[in-house]
Amino acid sequence: MLMYSNRKRTKKNELGLLRLALLCGVLFLANNLWAQIYLPGPPPEQPSDYGKVILDSYSPAAGMHAVEFDHWLHRSRYTCRLCHVDIGFAMEAKATGIRADSNRQGFHCGACHDGKKTFAGKPIFASCSDDKNGPNCTRCHSLGVRNARKEDYRTFTAKFPKATYGVNWEAAEKAGIIKPIDFIEGVSVHRPPMQSREDFSLKTGYNWVRPVLFSHEKHSIWNGCELCHPEIFPTGKRGTGRYSMFANIEGRYCGACHGRVAFPLNNCSQCHPRAPEWAAQ
Amino acid sequence: MSKLRFIAILLSLGLAVQFGVCANGASTAAAAQAAPAQQSWQKEFDDVCSKTQDAMTFSQQELTALIQRCDALAGRTQKLDDTQKKVYQGRLRMCRGLYAYVLESKKNEKK
Repeated sequence: MLMYSNRKRTKKNELGLLRLALLCGVLFLANNLWAQIYLPGPPPEQPSDYGKVILDSYSPAAGMHAVEFDHWLHRSRYTCRLCHVDIGFAMEAKATGIRADSNRQGFHCGACHDGKKTFAGKPIFASCSDDKNGPNCTRCHSLGVRNARKEDYRTFTAKFPKATYGVNWEAAEKAGIIKPIDFIEGVSVHRPPMQSREDFSLKTGYNWVRPVLFSHEKHSIWNGCELCHPEIFPTGKRGTGRYSMFANIEGRYCGACHGRVAFPLNNCSQCHPRAPEWAAQ
Repeated sequence: MSKLRFIAILLSLGLAVQFGVCANGASTAAAAQAAPAQQSWQKEFDDVCSKTQDAMTFSQQELTALIQRCDALAGRTQKLDDTQKKVYQGRLRMCRGLYAYVLESKKNEKK
């Protein structure tokens, strides 16, 4: 009788231990899953792939390779505002509707790539000629084509100041290595120079997270006002915006650019001064 | 008989040339009419959207007037062809949005 009772108790203990192990396992998995969702994902291993956009809405159907667009090349020459406001490139995938026809009419890529406009004294090659096998087609329609790209990231950025990840574009501009253009004749509107807006500090929700130092000047030089307000930062009432890293990771607020094209969200100290420099996943 | 044929050919050629000139003239006239229309909306667009950098310096009345001008211009851009309409309406939306945003900020400051 006693032996039977001991055996029953051991079985109960084993069952309890199993339940505890299961619970720990579930908690561990849930924690990992949470971390996977709410930690900024690492940027691509190669900085040359950061901000790369593949345009494949129409090209494959027309028998062309998809277009590979490199942000790193274009941002070294033009401001974000010029392309996303004046030329009208949407900041979300497949929303612009770039077509060969629209390029030929002088819109989208054709606003600069018309064979007439120049950069640094050289004509910018025309986009979308009638000849599908033209020599310039694969300069843009290059997905899956070997050695089609004319500019190589490493060579192009060799002399640029580097950040924790990729190029430090701000430092490159400060040093005069890049001078992004903010006006295209016939496309842009003549505007007076911008009056600098005040910088401000944003408190964070946790004591252990350093406040954000936001520089209006740094941002407005490249973006103007209307690229950020009101579409990315909609509220005009101070203190009512509820920003969070969760929202940033989902691509809202700062995450509309940071984590996609501008320096990655993992680069903590760029926004939260004196914070640890890099958050690995 | 051959003389008659010759006259008939000459007449038809003359008519064809006359018709061509008229058609050409009509399209030139239409283009001439469309050009000022395009210039006028473009001029208004350039003027309205050239002020975004100074938006914070405007009074509430000035901002309201700019928003009204953007709304009026939006109607005129409906007639543009698809790509042009998409590009300019997008730019106009951003421009108007900024003025409305600044106006809201100013109203909130006063409260």
